[in-house]
Amino acid sequence: MNNLKELLRGADPLRHEPAPPPGQHAVRRQAVLAAAGRADVPASERPRSRRAFLATSTLMLAAILALGAIVWSVFNSNLRAAIRFEIRMAETNPAPGLQKAKVSDSGRYIYLHPEVVVSNNDIAAVEVVEAGGPSQYGISVKLNAAGAGKMRRATAAHIGKPLAILLDGQVIMAPVVRDSVGGAAMLTGHYTKAEAQRIADRIVKGIGMR
Amino acid sequence: MTLPVVADANPVERLGRLFDAHHERLYRLARRLAPNADDALDLVQETFLRAAKSPKRIPAGASNEEAWLVRVLINVRRDQWRRASVRARHQDAAFENARNEDTRRSPEAGLIARAAVWQALDVLPPRRRAIVVMHELEELPIQDIASLLGISAITIRWHLAMGRRDLARALKTSGGTNS
Repeated sequence: MNNLKELLRGADPLRHEPAPPPGQHAVRRQAVLAAAGRADVPASERPRSRRAFLATSTLMLAAILALGAIVWSVFNSNLRAAIRFEIRMAETNPAPGLQKAKVSDSGRYIYLHPEVVVSNNDIAAVEVVEAGGPSQYGISVKLNAAGAGKMRRATAAHIGKPLAILLDGQVIMAPVVRDSVGGAAMLTGHYTKAEAQRIADRIVKGIGMR
Repeated sequence: MTLPVVADANPVERLGRLFDAHHERLYRLARRLAPNADDALDLVQETFLRAAKSPKRIPAGASNEEAWLVRVLINVRRDQWRRASVRARHQDAAFENARNEDTRRSPEAGLIARAAVWQALDVLPPRRRAIVVMHELEELPIQDIASLLGISAITIRWHLAMGRRDLARALKTSGGTNS
């Protein structure tokens, strides 16, 4: 086959046809500008037909139904993805009645108290925050009133000792309690932003789960 | 890519300026996408009518304006091409008729071959055809076409490869080349 470029050039109508007369462009330019002039009238001044109103209403209704379906779908998927969240006090040394548990990704063991201090329904909001440096992040857990009361009582007598955050029964972090934790707690752990975000996302997914 | 949007004080004046600045370039592309000169003029007009309907969506700056108009033109042509899908189903027969018609009109072998080559371009979807035309006839570099159409250079290369393959098949089927 001949070279494609040469073939196309040889067949190019622009090389063989005369250019359209200027009048052709002028006529079409005029038509475009006339249409633009009509489109330039503000929408509020344009007459609205009953059919247009019905079409708009139908579209809005369809959009609302579609949005509702999406919200319902997301809500359902969140329920399916819900993770059991718990905070329990812990110790660094074994003692009778404590449950030995490994802290994920650390090789460290702690010893859990049996009581669950707060769970999913005690959380109001979770967010990742910087914690002492550009590459160190913590997780701010805001508890609701009931959760704050329970945490304040539990942590007041537990300063300097670890507490355990469990997702689905697994200890994912065991920060040391720096202060009595009330309505908002800054959980430090020298996590990277990605690690902190991963943990925060999983906690958020668990909010609302019983 | 999000292009800046400029609200012109007078949309009609701006559209007139756009028409004057870009209609020749658009006509050259349209003529290479449409089957005849009248259709190409219609295609350019329809492109500017779309611009008239939504002037606030036209980005500022000559190159951005041109890119936006070229994309609209290709979209308009694509809509026409899809509506003509029935014709495409009978493409082979139509092609044969066109060839016979050309033969009757112009017995010169060169004209027949030229018509056959140009007819072969009809097998390409409009965007692919536009890419082939811009690269092979307008001699635009691949990166410039990518910027103009808002797609990646890899996609442009792929369209070019597919376009050349489809054209080769169509030309072989039609016997439009002498090799």
